[in-house]
Amino acid sequence: MANTLRLYLTCIRNTLEAAMCLQNFPCQEVERHNKPEVELKSSPELLLNPVLICRNEAEKCLIETSINSLRISLKVKQADELENILTKKFLRFLSMRAEAFQVLRRKPVQGYDISFLITNYHCEEMQKHKLIDFIVQFMEDIDKEISELKMSVNTRGRLVATEFLKQFI
Amino acid sequence: MAFIERASPAVKQILLKLYCAEKPMEIDHHLYEFGSVEYHIQSQASNPQVAYLSISMPPLCHGVLPNELSSNTIEMVKGLCPNVVEIAEPAKEGYLLTLKLNLNQIPHKKDYDKVIKEISTVHSVIQSSQLKEILCNVNSDDAFQGMYKPIKLVYHPREPFFLIRQPQRILAVFPIRFKEESDVIIATAFFQELVDVGSSDKWAKAPPCNWSAIPPPELRGEALEDLNTNGGFFTFEIFSRHVEGNRLDKTVWNLLNFNAFVRYHVKSTKGFIQRRMRKRLESLVEVLYQTNSEENEQPKQNQVCRYTKKLVRSTKYVAVKQRWGTFGRKVKRIRFRLKIHGFTRFRQRWLSFPKFSKGYTKIE
Repeated sequence: MANTLRLYLTCIRNTLEAAMCLQNFPCQEVERHNKPEVELKSSPELLLNPVLICRNEAEKCLIETSINSLRISLKVKQADELENILTKKFLRFLSMRAEAFQVLRRKPVQGYDISFLITNYHCEEMQKHKLIDFIVQFMEDIDKEISELKMSVNTRGRLVATEFLKQFI
Repeated sequence: MAFIERASPAVKQILLKLYCAEKPMEIDHHLYEFGSVEYHIQSQASNPQVAYLSISMPPLCHGVLPNELSSNTIEMVKGLCPNVVEIAEPAKEGYLLTLKLNLNQIPHKKDYDKVIKEISTVHSVIQSSQLKEILCNVNSDDAFQGMYKPIKLVYHPREPFFLIRQPQRILAVFPIRFKEESDVIIATAFFQELVDVGSSDKWAKAPPCNWSAIPPPELRGEALEDLNTNGGFFTFEIFSRHVEGNRLDKTVWNLLNFNAFVRYHVKSTKGFIQRRMRKRLESLVEVLYQTNSEENEQPKQNQVCRYTKKLVRSTKYVAVKQRWGTFGRKVKRIRFRLKIHGFTRFRQRWLSFPKFSKGYTKIE
């Protein structure tokens, strides 16, 4: 793993560890309702300051925290057009299957490629450190998968091009 | 290009059905392919040995080639299966060519499938022969000296390409259009690989190729709708060595189907990406479920232990209880020496202590 990526991921891990201290908190607006305050943003006293961690202009992570929920938004690097469509395709594919991940948001926050929403219920059901591991692992895997996909598409194109030119000879 | 069949699958299927029928069949089918190629297959029950296959299609290029078939093309069609295929004169009204098929001449053993497949390639044979006529004149500069006007060829509707005569070579320029942006990017990546591979020494014998986002200067003056593309322009340079002998047929077929080849590559690449994403989804989800399962495993293990302990305890408990039960009854008998009929029931009903419920709440 590149040194800069390790630092970036460590920073995100530490921030998540600090931010993920969620507790049950009923909605102050609607009686007998329990809603993620980070989404509603109706009571400013329940929100913490959002943290933006940037590796570079193209890669950043926004962590928004509230008393009972946490929202993590990621922007994945897209070096060229091919990476751009592969990232879009892959993240859209995952968002469409958000129910499989439980913590994945169906629509990313504006300006980001993918978002997660973790509530206090998720922290009760799953272990906190494992959830953080999952987020960090996910970020690593996405980067790796997109670069592998790009390489596969180019290799595939090269093989097809060779086969096409073979027919002229 | 194994995936692009020269034979029309629909025509082949109908001819096979007609040939393999046990009883004489009356057939009158009109088929359309690529939107502009029309086939008419006709056979009468009164004369089952003969079928008529008529074909109508727009010419490969308007203006340059005559609308009627040239003698070369007719010879090539006749050469498909000389015993079976005859050209009916005149052709049926509204059709370019009518073939009389003598079905009784088709061999009855294994080869009939091959012969029928050969007959079904009539459309590609006609189109190829038209392009061959153009390509065969690569070196004939005398006739076209000073005339480098592009020739627009339409093999598939909406996918025209251009041939440009130049001294000692012919340029084949393919304007590339796609509906989706993602298709354009995959195709562009493929073109870059094609140019890269083609420029290597290993493929020096293949036609040199080039891709550019803007139209080449040779196409200046063409209609704007033909030059309006989103995938750029791909150019092959055809020299005389590429159209010599057997290579002519390969070159012609590759040029006619280049657009279809690119589209097929884009489609299969998208399928490949989708398959890979689906596979990756499973492994990503697994990581999350590990976090759940590990947490749930510990209490489960405890439960199992408790259950097994309970089982062991229960067998001992039952044995001890049975033993103490018999012993207690003996003691009772010793105590109550006098036997009064019905006293036991009376004692149970009136002299026993009331039982309190076992459930209680522990106060911490």
